[in-house]
Amino acid sequence: MAHDWQPDFEQLVDEHQSMVFSLAARMTGDRGLAEEIAQDVFMELDRHLGKIESPLHAIYWLRRVAMSRSADALRRRKVRGMDLWVEFEDGHGAQAEQRSSPLGSRLEGLLTTLPEAQRAALVLRYQEDLTPEEIAAALDAPLATVKSNLQRGLKLLRAKATSHLKEYLRVKEQVRGF
Amino acid sequence: MDFEQMDDFERELKQALERRPAPPSLKRKLMEQRNRQRTERLRIRTVMWQRLAACLVLVSLLGGGFAWRNREEQRKGEEARQQVLTALRITNRALNQMKAQLAEHDRNTQE
Repeated sequence: MAHDWQPDFEQLVDEHQSMVFSLAARMTGDRGLAEEIAQDVFMELDRHLGKIESPLHAIYWLRRVAMSRSADALRRRKVRGMDLWVEFEDGHGAQAEQRSSPLGSRLEGLLTTLPEAQRAALVLRYQEDLTPEEIAAALDAPLATVKSNLQRGLKLLRAKATSHLKEYLRVKEQVRGF
Repeated sequence: MDFEQMDDFERELKQALERRPAPPSLKRKLMEQRNRQRTERLRIRTVMWQRLAACLVLVSLLGGGFAWRNREEQRKGEEARQQVLTALRITNRALNQMKAQLAEHDRNTQE
């Protein structure tokens, strides 16, 4: 198919590096690994640049490959027997504090404790604002599975957040009591 | 679950999951890696073309050598053929002379 749009690698990096990095960081919970994944994703984009037909195709392609590479990285870590659900590093956490509310940064931390499939669905839903159909296409998963992962993930995250909030309030009360 | 309507918790989650800026070093590293790979690809391509050119030169030399040897053998064969023909012509002439002399001798003897 003939297309007039000519992809510019540097411009694509400028526009989408935060998306790719954020997806990888939220999926792996490791800033260093996320940077490596983002590099891999963009180098693969460079190799496939001729096949990218439009800016929308580029975004779709980057999301798909970023999620797939993150899943691969998690699998490799699982094989090596490393801790899967690592918390965000301090630097990343500090930035989060500056950008969002305390509950928000706590939610981001709790997200890393969810099972991989649920986390992937939630990240694409709430970071990328995708519909369940778009998530299903990005993850190459059945729509029903994605909807179920979204429901279960949200329910689990809500329960964890409630429990953390209660604990937080209890500790705060105790501190006040002293 | 209604995927259109968001409650407060989901709104808080959406806010928490805003895109983070990538590390400033990411783009620099990417561009460096890309340049390295391009240089490497160019080097490999150059080496490949050089090898191809060397192969073509070698094939041309070998082909030329074979053609020259064939032509040389043909030339030598032709030369040998001409020598044999010349020798045959000389022999033929000598035999003709000898035949004429013998005929002359026979005539003289009869007279």
